[in-house]
Amino acid sequence: MVKMKNKGLKTGILIIGLFTAAAILAPIISPHDPAAISQDELLMTPSLKHPLGTDSLGRDILSRMIFGARVSLSVALIAVGISTVTGVFLGSIAGYYGGFIDSFIMRLADIFLCFPTFFLILAVVAFTEPSLFNIMAIIGFTSWMGSARLIRSQILSLKEREFILAEKALGATDFRIVTYHLIPNAISPILVNAIFAIGSAILIESGLSFLGLGVQPPTPSWGNILIESKSTLAVAWWITIFPGLAIFLTIAGFHLIGEGLKKQLLNQ
Amino acid sequence: MKNLLEVKNLSKIYKGNSFFGNAKDVKALNDINFTLKPYEILSVIGESGCGKSTLAKLLIKLITPSSGQVIYDTRIIEKLTKDVQIIFQNPYQSLSPRMRIRDLMAEPLFIHHIAKKNSKDINNRLEELLKMVGMEKDALERFPHQFSGGQRQRICIARALACEPKLLILDEPISSLDLTIQVKMLDLFLELKKKLGLTYIFISHNLAVVKKIADSILILKEGELVENNRTSEIFVSPKHPYTKKLIEAAK
Amino acid sequence: MKKILEVKNLSVEFRIEEKRIEAVRNFTLDMEEKEIIVLAGESGSGKTIASLALTRILPALAKITAGEAYFEGKDLFLKTEIELQALRGAKISYIFQEPLVYLNPVFKISEQLKETIIYHDKISPEEANKRMLELLNLVKIIDPETVGNIYPHQLSGGMNQRVFIALALASNPKLIIADEPTTALDVITEAQILEMLKDLQNKLGFSLLFITHNLSIAKKIANRVFIMHRGEIVESEKTAEIFNSPKHIHTKELVYAYEKIGKL
Repeated sequence: MVKMKNKGLKTGILIIGLFTAAAILAPIISPHDPAAISQDELLMTPSLKHPLGTDSLGRDILSRMIFGARVSLSVALIAVGISTVTGVFLGSIAGYYGGFIDSFIMRLADIFLCFPTFFLILAVVAFTEPSLFNIMAIIGFTSWMGSARLIRSQILSLKEREFILAEKALGATDFRIVTYHLIPNAISPILVNAIFAIGSAILIESGLSFLGLGVQPPTPSWGNILIESKSTLAVAWWITIFPGLAIFLTIAGFHLIGEGLKKQLLNQ
Repeated sequence: MKNLLEVKNLSKIYKGNSFFGNAKDVKALNDINFTLKPYEILSVIGESGCGKSTLAKLLIKLITPSSGQVIYDTRIIEKLTKDVQIIFQNPYQSLSPRMRIRDLMAEPLFIHHIAKKNSKDINNRLEELLKMVGMEKDALERFPHQFSGGQRQRICIARALACEPKLLILDEPISSLDLTIQVKMLDLFLELKKKLGLTYIFISHNLAVVKKIADSILILKEGELVENNRTSEIFVSPKHPYTKKLIEAAK
Repeated sequence: MKKILEVKNLSVEFRIEEKRIEAVRNFTLDMEEKEIIVLAGESGSGKTIASLALTRILPALAKITAGEAYFEGKDLFLKTEIELQALRGAKISYIFQEPLVYLNPVFKISEQLKETIIYHDKISPEEANKRMLELLNLVKIIDPETVGNIYPHQLSGGMNQRVFIALALASNPKLIIADEPTTALDVITEAQILEMLKDLQNKLGFSLLFITHNLSIAKKIANRVFIMHRGEIVESEKTAEIFNSPKHIHTKELVYAYEKIGKL
């Protein structure tokens, strides 16, 4: 199916694979309990016992990073899942039916697009309590516009093609035509877009958690580990570097996969 | 024998777009009248833009007429019926690219509730249909792009036959195929007609083909029906000057 | 008569990853000056690739692996890309099947014609304008002033094809290669275009290589017919011979199809 000759794709899959494995196997491979506070081991430099050092409460950074991977990745995946499903649904209806429905949905998208995403999310978060589920839903429901527009334009061009006419002539219902014939043929760019969106989602979640509005301690997230980094940068560089590196690598990994997939699909 | 199809005063006008000032209406078809007896082949001939595709779409109810009626088997049909199926011109575009042949062919059976998903009889029926059009059953697991134009057209025919239609509308079904393949397809059409008791409306611009297979012919020019007669009459004593021009050009 | 085109044992391969597919094999064809030759064969027999190989306008994955080609006695495969560019559109012109695909949708007809004229002949704009109108007249376009002023999508298929032919004639080519130019047109228009091509060939004296899968065209215009099957030439004869006594099995198939549905 997917030919593995693409070096970028391979690298990306390797990186994300590692992080995902870490996230799934967290309880097994984590050397310490991420919430375990230790008064004697505050702000220790990376050592054999604590390969990535400890934070100002003596918690092992590595363990917190591994569990943090769980949180960051799942939030991103679910958020993008929500936004893609919403986007595909709204975009398909807009593209297929056209007319008033199309205008309405597209104006809705325009309105959402007017707000700088992050501030929109901040505003919503201000009114709701910051919980894991809320974060996923908020990120998801404020970023559907990209995939909606993509699938709408794909469907606009596909629906005039002869095979759609043939399906109509056979008596297929609109629902059947859209779900079995239009969406499968239009889905490739949406997939690529979704991969890139996961990268963005990780960044957004990290940002929100860093500001204290996302995942709440003691649940670790790469973003909220960074909360301490502001005050401890001079004495404990490891609290800043490692979470930052993780975020960077993960987003890079997803981008590599996205670019690799784009190349793959272009060649088809 | 009573008529299988009666078309009365059929017209289709596409409204001009007055918002942009270009308010001309396009008369795609104007007052078309003809009848079709069962088991016959009626051919519709004309140049590009004469309205033959519009006629096909009207007959299969993909679009609604501006005026006039299509009476099928003494009933006025309002919407799509499985008794009338259509084969389109371009075999490279008429099959959904991401579906297997099996799913494409089974679709009409589901749509018209002839069979339920995953029932065992479907397989037999699909193999039977493929055999009828001269294809092997291993085609079922493949995708459209793995077949040639002629083969794809055969798949389209098998699909159209799935619901046991009585009338097949063939909109230039062989025009985009090589001449050598066209001959084979024509033989297939005639064989199927005999075996399954079908009636055809065969749209074409190839007079040689039409002369060979049609019982009667409609000549369309810019939306108007200029001549309507039995095949032999049309070729032996064409009446309208346009018909004569067509025959001259084909010689 | 001198031979204007001589192709010997031409082979063209497609290379897709590790696979090699021979599109053209041992292709041999010759044309005399002022001759009309029909190259006939089914779709996929390699006719188009063979004709494009002559001036090396091949898709990226195709490579010429063997053979020779001489135009007016000079070796085509020894020419550089710059020399070939001077040849294309000037001495060797092509006409393809779908004019709308090959005409630029954002330029008026007159502009596209003048562009070609000026590129090859370096004459003044007024002279180019005159020549453009002459050309449109040659292809029997009734109102060349008006037609020149509009865009390709506003014309019918037949009219666009005439424009395309005018483009091909712009610099008085010695050889025109027409690849299924009438396949997408209806019967009446096809008959008109064929007759026009025959007239023009008579009047202007170019050689015409006409590619098709329909032998009835050969009957109407060809001096000789080359039959192509799976990349190779399987038979070549004078037109009458091909129809009266076809020898190769694929020639017979094509003639059989013609007898059944190619003629009234």
